[in-house]
Amino acid sequence: MIDTHERAVMEETVRGAIADALATAREGANIDAVLAQLGWLKMLDDEPDDAIDIVFRALGAANATATALDDVVASALGQKPRADLAVLLPRFAAWDPPGRIDADDLQAEGLATGRAATAREMLVVCGTESEPWSVIASTTVADVQAVRGVDPDAGLRAVRVHGSAAGATRLDPAVWPKAVALGRRAVAYQIAGAGRTMLDLARTHALERVQFGRPIARFQAVRHRLADALVAVEALEAALTAAREEPNPDTAALAKAVAGRTAHTVARHCQQVLAGIGFTTEHSFHRFLMRVLAFEGIFGSADAIVLDIGRRLLAERRVPTLIEL
Amino acid sequence: MINLADYRAELHAWLEANHDELAPRFAPPGTLDDRVIQMRRVKSILFDAGWMQRGWPERVGGRGGPPMLRTELGAALAARGLTDPGLFSLIEVLAPTIIDFAPPELAAEVVPRLLSGAELWCQGFSEPDAGSDLASLRCHAAPESGDARTATKWVINGQKVWTSLAQFSDRCVLLTRTGPPDSRHRGITAFFVDMRTPGITVVPLEMLNGELEFAEVFFADVVVSADRMLGELNGGWAVAMSILPYERSSCFWQRIAFLYRRLQRLVEVAPDDDRAAEIVGDAYLQLHALRARSRATQHRLAETGTIGAETSIDKVLVATAEQTTYDAVRRLLPGMIEMDDSVAGEMWRSEYLYSRAATIYGGTAEVQRNIIARRLLELGSDE
Repeated sequence: MIDTHERAVMEETVRGAIADALATAREGANIDAVLAQLGWLKMLDDEPDDAIDIVFRALGAANATATALDDVVASALGQKPRADLAVLLPRFAAWDPPGRIDADDLQAEGLATGRAATAREMLVVCGTESEPWSVIASTTVADVQAVRGVDPDAGLRAVRVHGSAAGATRLDPAVWPKAVALGRRAVAYQIAGAGRTMLDLARTHALERVQFGRPIARFQAVRHRLADALVAVEALEAALTAAREEPNPDTAALAKAVAGRTAHTVARHCQQVLAGIGFTTEHSFHRFLMRVLAFEGIFGSADAIVLDIGRRLLAERRVPTLIEL
Repeated sequence: MINLADYRAELHAWLEANHDELAPRFAPPGTLDDRVIQMRRVKSILFDAGWMQRGWPERVGGRGGPPMLRTELGAALAARGLTDPGLFSLIEVLAPTIIDFAPPELAAEVVPRLLSGAELWCQGFSEPDAGSDLASLRCHAAPESGDARTATKWVINGQKVWTSLAQFSDRCVLLTRTGPPDSRHRGITAFFVDMRTPGITVVPLEMLNGELEFAEVFFADVVVSADRMLGELNGGWAVAMSILPYERSSCFWQRIAFLYRRLQRLVEVAPDDDRAAEIVGDAYLQLHALRARSRATQHRLAETGTIGAETSIDKVLVATAEQTTYDAVRRLLPGMIEMDDSVAGEMWRSEYLYSRAATIYGGTAEVQRNIIARRLLELGSDE
């Protein structure tokens, strides 16, 4: 684990590099190249917790598009991450393995980051949670379509794979839930970063926008919305810390569910405070709104996770506390 | 250095072994009298066994160690249904005040009596015209004769309200107005008053769940010795504010342990369908985020020795999670709260109704949001 000072330096470096890239590129800044230059894969290998925390938070805060999620999931699945290896993610709102194997036939359907369009190979996990297999398929057997959706800039792809299952290897059943857990934490950090920026934007607007002869930040109705947004962001931070300090599929699932709830709460309050300007494409708020809508569904939406957890509480008739003092 | 996990294991093993002696003699909720008697009995057993003294300073009869030992004890009792956490955790808002602000010999004399259950104390803060706006309190204290700096006796006149357990209490930590009427937080002084002093009248108030947990307390020419002053003359605001770190850390953790126990009880009887799964799942999600937040707050307190305005976030989360938990009971067990006269119905009804106050006591939800806006978001004054 890195110390507080090292961490602050690292955060500053990552944020600065991303901001520079976004400021200089006319369009389509290559954030993956920026991360590669910063030594992202080495950071991920040496200090995965810090690397994921710092990088995904920074991506969320700047609304930057990258494919680093593939590296996080690939490494959790026991593969050495590399730029020409994409990962097939589950369908929107789901988290079961996206592929299935029938005799030697591999079929899969899911989402992917923009890396799916350029990578030579794609890592596909197949089967059930209790009996997972992993296949490294050539992307020549993948049908990769850009997803416009709510956030065309997110670079997400809808992918169908139909090819041979030759070379499939059996995975330890604990590995897929672990990969999902790490992916969930990464996305939740990204949402935390985006939430902070949305709140900053709304706060700045409330202090600058004058109506009825005073900044709207003086109105209690406005203040309380922003306060509720901060409460939601801080609840997410706490859940993320718990998921980091007690790493397991349950704490990660809860962190991701809190992230989803926080995303919607913060977006709703900040949009209302930003009012007219926040409804236009002139103001940057809308980009964050679109991004959190898209990413809320990666590795399971809050609603889907909460339903799953609730079913388990009722099936086992037991409420575990998960974290202690 | 005490390992908290080892301590917790040792504590739970002891509570398990002594369960029969500690368990309530009534089915929950029992009456308030039942619960107060139970709390005193449990404290007395734990005091004799040496557990109550853990985490308290040796100069007041404690056995030392980090305050988190107290938190673990309160949470273990709440998680096992041995005491009402609202009653038990009152020590956290009363004893530290005395330890930090009373003359040392007084603190050494009275704190062990609170810990052992020999005495109960109450907190005389709120007044009819000083609720959220505590600094406007008017209950008046004046020197019996002569100058305030040299007076040996003070005379108190006025009224307090929402004073929890006043009718059971032996002493009161009382805030009084000693400065000019408009002196706000600069003119408040705290006293430690014996409740049997002539001139004190306690009139219990009936809460909407039928219980008499709090009271109006009237003071008519109540004479208190100057050596019962807590802190400095006109320094009562600091005394009042010093309670916050304890209330927002240890007390909340105990409450959270209790809420997990209640959610546990709910999932044991809730229907096994997807609507119920969504409702209990949502309550669980909120409790988890709250527990994670409270854990971080307590570690920060242990490391830095102080916590402040950021605990308004903890307060919003605990109030919201508590109401969500009892709303889940109402939604999943139709008629339980509204119509059921069984012991279970009495318990859920009483606690559901009490949970409606979670966004009111200890600083309303609105006051917390005002603090968050001003102090944490730095939105400036709202005037």
